Amino acid sequence: MDHHHNNTAVLQVEDLNVYYGAVQAVRNVSFTVQAGEIFGLLGPNGAGKTSTLSAVEGLLRPQSGTIRVAGYSIREESKQARASLGVQLQATSFQPELTVTEIIQLYAGIYGVSLTKQQVDGVLSNINLRDAAAKRFGQLSGGQQQRVSLVIATIHDPELVLLDEPTTGLDPQSRRQLWVRMESMREKGHGILLTTHSMEEAEAVCDRIAIIDHGQIITIDTPQALIDSNRDKPEVIQASRKGKITLEDVFIGLTGSTIRS
Amino acid sequence: MLSQRSTNHILPIISKDPHMQRQIPSSFAVYSSLLKADLTAQWRNRRASILVILVPVIILMTWKGLVERNGGAFVLSNCITVGLMAIGLMGYSNSVARDRDKGIFQRLRVAPTSAWSIMTSRLTVQLVMIIIMTTTLFIVGYRFDHITTISAGSYAFGFLTAIVGGSVYLSLGQAVVGLIRNPETVNVVTRLVYFVFIMTGMFGELGMLGPEIGHAVKWSPYGTVKRIVSSSLESGAWDQNASIALAATVGYAILFTLLGIKWFKWNTR
Repeated sequence: MDHHHNNTAVLQVEDLNVYYGAVQAVRNVSFTVQAGEIFGLLGPNGAGKTSTLSAVEGLLRPQSGTIRVAGYSIREESKQARASLGVQLQATSFQPELTVTEIIQLYAGIYGVSLTKQQVDGVLSNINLRDAAAKRFGQLSGGQQQRVSLVIATIHDPELVLLDEPTTGLDPQSRRQLWVRMESMREKGHGILLTTHSMEEAEAVCDRIAIIDHGQIITIDTPQALIDSNRDKPEVIQASRKGKITLEDVFIGLTGSTIRS
Repeated sequence: MLSQRSTNHILPIISKDPHMQRQIPSSFAVYSSLLKADLTAQWRNRRASILVILVPVIILMTWKGLVERNGGAFVLSNCITVGLMAIGLMGYSNSVARDRDKGIFQRLRVAPTSAWSIMTSRLTVQLVMIIIMTTTLFIVGYRFDHITTISAGSYAFGFLTAIVGGSVYLSLGQAVVGLIRNPETVNVVTRLVYFVFIMTGMFGELGMLGPEIGHAVKWSPYGTVKRIVSSSLESGAWDQNASIALAATVGYAILFTLLGIKWFKWNTR
């Protein structure tokens, strides 16, 4: 699958180690995300996904390892790195009293983007929310909030977009629409780091996938290559439910079927 | 780079010069954007803000009879102290606890904003609230309680001491929100602290709780704030005790600020 990868790493994570007290949450994690690539980071609960993402976002200081966003070190050149990063967090994260327009203006100001009223209208028209411009964020539906969140994540044209379980709680229509938007972002050269619990989603949109478990990356490859290289493993065959091996079977086979807390 | 880009569509096409440094907005520009949003959010929550101001206004109106006996400065300073407590404990701490729980701070922190600009913007909004509350009490005191003995200079001095006193309760609110993660628990605890401070402070000041508690209240955050506000409103009343009270007030503010910074976590996990 070639999606305009230009072999420019927009995210480089090398030998990342994160501890919480004596507990090691992330062990020697290394991966890169290229411009024009959707890179999926998959793992069961407690596998180390959130800690890895928090370190990439600069919210958590790792004990060792390096993280560079668009070439900027997240520690030494924190502001430049964060300015090169667009983030859509899992939880609703905007003041519910502000209107959609006000939230866009707030983040445009924070990222140093000049937007005229016509440009804000254009942005809102693009996500079918022009009629909701004066609505408060707290009054929007889950799908509408996700669209606003995605607009904010890309308002400054970042090299890397980080989407943390963006389709959780969305109906199938909204989910498909978001996939199209992700693909559109890829076409325009953004690198995307996506976390999701939906193997269907990962298989549908990701160019490459890393599976992380117990703080370590256990494999990185394209979805099809992951299926092909693991289809004969007994634990993958055992996880298969319909005869045909899917990415979910590979995921369960590699990480086990035990429910994580 | 960005401000010059076309933003006519949601996802603009990347056309970067790889050797060009990404433009970072100035700290002042970021602070201005945050302040505008925080002031808007405060305005939209104006019912809650009015309730915060209403309590000291009602006390001021019901204490009209005490003006002649204890003086306008005594009545006004007690009411201003109650208002400052309400702003710091009920308003500020609860809004910070709620926004932290919703992940609003985390979203801001992954943008190129500094922690100080996020918090300075929040505190500026509270400074505006302190000025509005103090002005309202001065007006109600003048019009309803007929407190006419305070000079213009004393009013100005009163504003300054109200701001210094307000810092005690804002920092105390910060310490509470640092110590407690759950927003509902923050709400309950701040209400409780507010109630205890009002009861012991006001009744202790009036000598209704005995000399020991009266003395303790005098040097409590309630008593020191009340004293500096009272002394500032009365011409020639600033004495050595008022200076010691000012030092104690600043000391409380520094102590609570240090605890608030030490304990505060940006997320609830």
